[in-house]
Parts: sequence; C-alpha cells; structure tokens
Amino acid sequence: MSRSLRIAAAGIVAFGTLYALILAVLNAPQMQVNLPQQVALNLEQSGIDHPITAVLLNFRSYDTLLEVAVLLVAVVTGLALRERDALTAHTEQARDPMLHALTRRLLPLLLITSVYILWSGSYAPGGAFQAGALVAAAGVIARLAGYDIASRADVLLRLGLALGFILFLTVAVSAMFGGRPFLNYPEGWAGSLIFLIEAVLTFSIGLTLISLFVHAPGDSSPRGGDDDD
Amino acid sequence: MTPILLIIPLAFAILTLLLPRNWARATIIPGLVLQVGAAVLLCIQIYHDGPQDYALGDWQAPLGISLIADGFSVTLLALTSLVAALCAVYAQYFLTRYPREQRYFWPLFWFLLAALNGIWLAGDLFNLYVGLELLGLSAVGMVALTAEKTTLKAALDYLYAALFGSLAYLAGVALLYGAYGTLSIVQLSEMAAANPTTQVALGLMTVGLLLKTAIFPLHYWLPPAHGGALAPVSALLSALVVKASFYILALLWLDVGALAVTVNAAQAMGFLGAGAIFWGSWQAFQTRQIKMLVAYSTVAQLGYLMLLFPLAIGVSEAAAHLAWQGTVLHLLAHAFAKAAMFLAVGTLVLALGHGRINDFGGVSQRNPVALFAFGLSAVSLMGLPPSGGFNAKWLLLQSAIASGQWHWFVVMVIGGLLTAAYVFRVFRVSFVQTAKHDIQETHPALQFSALALALMAIGLGFASEIPMSFMNLTDFTPSPGGSP
Repeated sequence: MSRSLRIAAAGIVAFGTLYALILAVLNAPQMQVNLPQQVALNLEQSGIDHPITAVLLNFRSYDTLLEVAVLLVAVVTGLALRERDALTAHTEQARDPMLHALTRRLLPLLLITSVYILWSGSYAPGGAFQAGALVAAAGVIARLAGYDIASRADVLLRLGLALGFILFLTVAVSAMFGGRPFLNYPEGWAGSLIFLIEAVLTFSIGLTLISLFVHAPGDSSPRGGDDDD
Repeated sequence: MTPILLIIPLAFAILTLLLPRNWARATIIPGLVLQVGAAVLLCIQIYHDGPQDYALGDWQAPLGISLIADGFSVTLLALTSLVAALCAVYAQYFLTRYPREQRYFWPLFWFLLAALNGIWLAGDLFNLYVGLELLGLSAVGMVALTAEKTTLKAALDYLYAALFGSLAYLAGVALLYGAYGTLSIVQLSEMAAANPTTQVALGLMTVGLLLKTAIFPLHYWLPPAHGGALAPVSALLSALVVKASFYILALLWLDVGALAVTVNAAQAMGFLGAGAIFWGSWQAFQTRQIKMLVAYSTVAQLGYLMLLFPLAIGVSEAAAHLAWQGTVLHLLAHAFAKAAMFLAVGTLVLALGHGRINDFGGVSQRNPVALFAFGLSAVSLMGLPPSGGFNAKWLLLQSAIASGQWHWFVVMVIGGLLTAAYVFRVFRVSFVQTAKHDIQETHPALQFSALALALMAIGLGFASEIPMSFMNLTDFTPSPGGSP
C-alpha cells in the first residue's frame, strides 16, 4: 500500500473513532449507581481518610494486588533478558565533581519527598505508587552519577523486589485464618496495616523501576551466559 | 474457598522466584497437585450448591469486587489446571536443556496461571482489565525467554498487540462506567440498554479483544509468537491464553451487552471467523516449519469460536443453546488437542534438531508415541469421531441447521476438510522409512505428557455430558434477544 493511502486509511479510522466517542459521550444515559457517594459513606470504616487510597488499598484492594503482580512480572521478564556483562560497564565512570555534589544534595531531598508523599496518602492525594516513582527517580539519578546500585540479580535483590507483594499477600491471606474473607483487614487495624503495606510497596516499586532501568539490555552486545545463583 | 485458586499460583510464583533453583524445582509438583485438587474441590462444591459469589475484603459489589464461580468458570478452572499441570510436567524435562530460561520460566508460569484463574472468576469489568494485563505481560515474558532475535521481535509485536488491545478494552470500560456508574458485571447486564454509548463501548472492547484473541485479520502477531516460543510455552499460549480474551468477548456479547448487539454485527463476527478458518488453514498448508503449521492451525481453530455469535444471536432459544454448548465443547477440545500437538511437535523437533516438515522422515519409527499423540490431537481438530472436536462440530452444525444458516454449515464442513489437508502433510512424510538425519533420544515423559493431553481430547468425546451438566449451572447462557 502506498504511503498516502495508508495515511488516508489511518485518518479515516482515527476520525471515525473520534466521531463514535463523541457520539457515545453526548448520548450517555443518566447514571443509576452513585459510587462516589457509596465510597464517602464507607470511608470511616476503611481506616483511611482519603477516598482514592481507600479505594485502592481497601475497597478494590484486589485490583491493586494484581497490579503489583503485574509490576513484578515486568521486572522478572527484565531480569530474564538482562545481560550479565552490561552491568559493570558504566560503574567505573569518571566522577564529575559537579555531578557528584549535585547528586549528594539531591538524593536526600528526593527520599524525604517520597516519604512525605507516602505519608500524605492517608489523607491527601499520594501513596505507594507515587512515592515509589520518586524513589526510582532518586535511584536513576544515582545510577547515572556512577553509583552502583541494584546491579546484582542475587537473592537479596529478588527478595527486595517481591517484598511488597509478599507482605500484601500475607496480610490478605491471614484474614482467612481468622475466618474473615480474603483481603479483609481486622477491625481497627485497617489504617496501620494499609500504611505498612504502602511503605513496603514504596520500597519494592522503587526498586522495581530502578531494576528495569539498570537491567535494560545495551545496544547490540551479545547476550550473557548462564544465570548466577 | 474460591480465592484459594488465586492464592496458590501467586504463592508459588513467589516461591519459585526466591528459592534456589533446585528447591524451586521441587515445589512444582506439590504446587500442581494443590492447584488441581483445589479446582476439583471447587467443581464439586459448585455442582452441589450451585453458582456462588465471593465478596473480596467483605465489600459488596459495586463498591468492592466480587468473584463469581458458576458452572462455566469452574469448567474453565478445571481445564486450566489440567492443561497447565501436564505442560508443567513436560516443561520440567524439556527445560533441562535450557538452564537459563528455566530460572524465570516458573515464576512466569505461576503468574500466568493466577491471571487465567483471576479472569475465569472475575465479576468486575475493570478487574478483567487487570487480569488481562497480568496475563498479557506474563505471556510476553514467556515468549521472550530464549532472547533470540526472532523470538524477541515476536515478543515485542505480541506486547504491542496486547497493550493496544488492553487500551481499547479499557476505553470501553471507561465509557460503560461513565454511563452506568458501576463496573459489576451482574449489575451492568441488568442495566446496559441499546444506546449509542453502550454500542460504542462494546465496539471498542470488541476490537481490543479480537486483537488479543488473534482473530483474522488481526492475527498477525500470533504465528511468530506461538511458533517461536519454547514448546511448553506455545502449548500454554495456544491452549489457554487466547481463550481468556474470547471468554470476555462472549461475556460482553451474550451477557453484559445482550440487548445492545445487533444481528448484523453478529453476522460480521461470523465472517471474521470464516476468514480465520480459511486463511489460517491455507497458511498452515503452505508453511515449511512444523511449529508454524501448528500455530496457523490455532488461527484457523479460533475462527470456529467466532461462529458462536451468528449462531447464538437473533435465533431461536434451542439453536442458541446448541451453539453455546458446541462452542464450549470446541474450546475445551481445542485446548487439549492443541496443547498435545505443540508438546508432541516440540518433542519431535527436539529429537530431529530441526522443524522442517519435508525432512520428517523416520520419526514414525523412532518417536512413535509423540507422533501418535500428534495424530490423536489431529483427529479432534479435524472433527472426526470419536473425539471432543467431533461432538463440538456436530453441535455447531446442528445449531446452524436449526437456525437455517446454511452458509455457516458450509464454512464448517470446508474448514474440516482444510484441517485434514494440512495435517496429512505431516503424516505423508513422517512414515517414510529412511531418516535423513540422526534422531536423538528424548525423555519418555515428554512423549507421554503429550499423549495424556491428546487422550483427554479424544476422551472428551465420551464424556461430553460432564461439561454440559456444568454449563446448566450458570445463568450466563445466551438469551434469544438481539434487535434486528
């Protein structure tokens, strides 16, 4: 197919979809269920003051559990594809004094901000995913400045990556031993357990994102040999 | 009881990720036994007590998420456990030649299983999206495991297709939530009316899911991904993974959006299916590589699933019921047969050291069990009696006659003949006495796990009442609705 024909076809599909979407939004019927209201009514029982965190970690915590599993699958695939030799290649970089000084001042600030974001999740927008992204940003900056972090795929790294998921799953399953449903929090403990889960998740999510950055395969070097455990 | 089927695979995914290699291998068999046992127990429970809801975290839908275990979902859970268990037995011996891949195969395997079980049990449209993401990513990871150039490219194409499919699905979910304010499947199937919003949402979700199910003409990513992956991975992908997005598609068309779909749209889905049957079979007939033949056969067989829509929408209740039963039986029979076929072919390729069909001479003498497994699964795929595939096609043909849709009858009959044509290519060369190559010894467990699956595909022909009796334990059967 010639180029202009392809562009024309793509344009027709794009505008057709846009037209359909506008039609769908304009003709949307009146909502029959008011979920935000139900969230507000149950907020007190959830142990969290902010509706988004309450939905993510309590009302629909099953979705979040699986989302954390998705992140873990991504990093497991990344580890499976990583190259052994590419890891040490950049760690011996000459230390630029400016970069070094800037990094040393930036890293603590980033980590403090991430703890704040994590903490604020219980009463304002924030939480584990955002805080984890900040931790990851700190890790990427440190890595670019030549600090060797998270480059070894040994048992400790794997444990760190999985820790958030393990804790989440353990809390979720432990409810069943007390005769309560899967993913239920014990009465009065919801707030503190959610904060604990979020804190550990922040660490694991940060480590996951850093690992994906660090273990990304290089340009075209042949892939490494056997695994190391 | 219900969430046990999610907890087992998630827990074993973590165990196989963290334990040293030998310990991780030792957990596989106990894990599989637990998984199959839990699935069977749940089947018995549902058989006695009827469909069940489970409110996760004790939050009732629509505020929380509920799991729904009915006759259809437990049938699929049992199928998943059985096929996965035999593929895992095979993989244990197959992967001894791939020490590096073995390390990460098992965590991905268990996550894949968790995603499948999650999708069969989901009672919430957004939760299905999360399940699809988990399924897609672990499947892509498994395709990419060998990290060769061709498989990496196939995995990347698969990833883009899976992501685009998910996004289109998510857009539809957002529209439905915006219109009705709930994500619960039970609630939506009561509320969703025939209005433009529902129809556009269904259209977007359908496109995404067709891409994920690799329905012609959106099948381009499937043959390289399924044909290029390691044999146990191909078996899992073709037998189970593509069925998950079809399951959601059926749920949307026959349950959630039953009032919004039109007969013309259903006929169009049928034409896509017919295209898949003809194009997939023709490509399977043309290809030189045995694994690509099996992969294109999957493209063709998925086409039969699409015939559910024209055969069940806008027809009499009796015809719709027949179509529904035939489709479920076809799904089960194809899962067993295709897993068996990929495992058998994997063994043959391992023994010969190559996959060129024209140089398959001599395998009938040196690998008779694997070839026999291939033959038995081919019997089911062609729809010859006695097999699950025969019963499935019989029901589908009867349904086409009952609703007077002779064009689908013709498509199915020609499809069966085309299947025979490409399968007999393999037999024509494999019975040649003289081998051109050295044929290596393979572990007997490889051949016998393939044979076990093939026997299940055949055995389904004698035991079709079992899944059929489970299908009566669900309220998710096609209603003879559909506006003309």
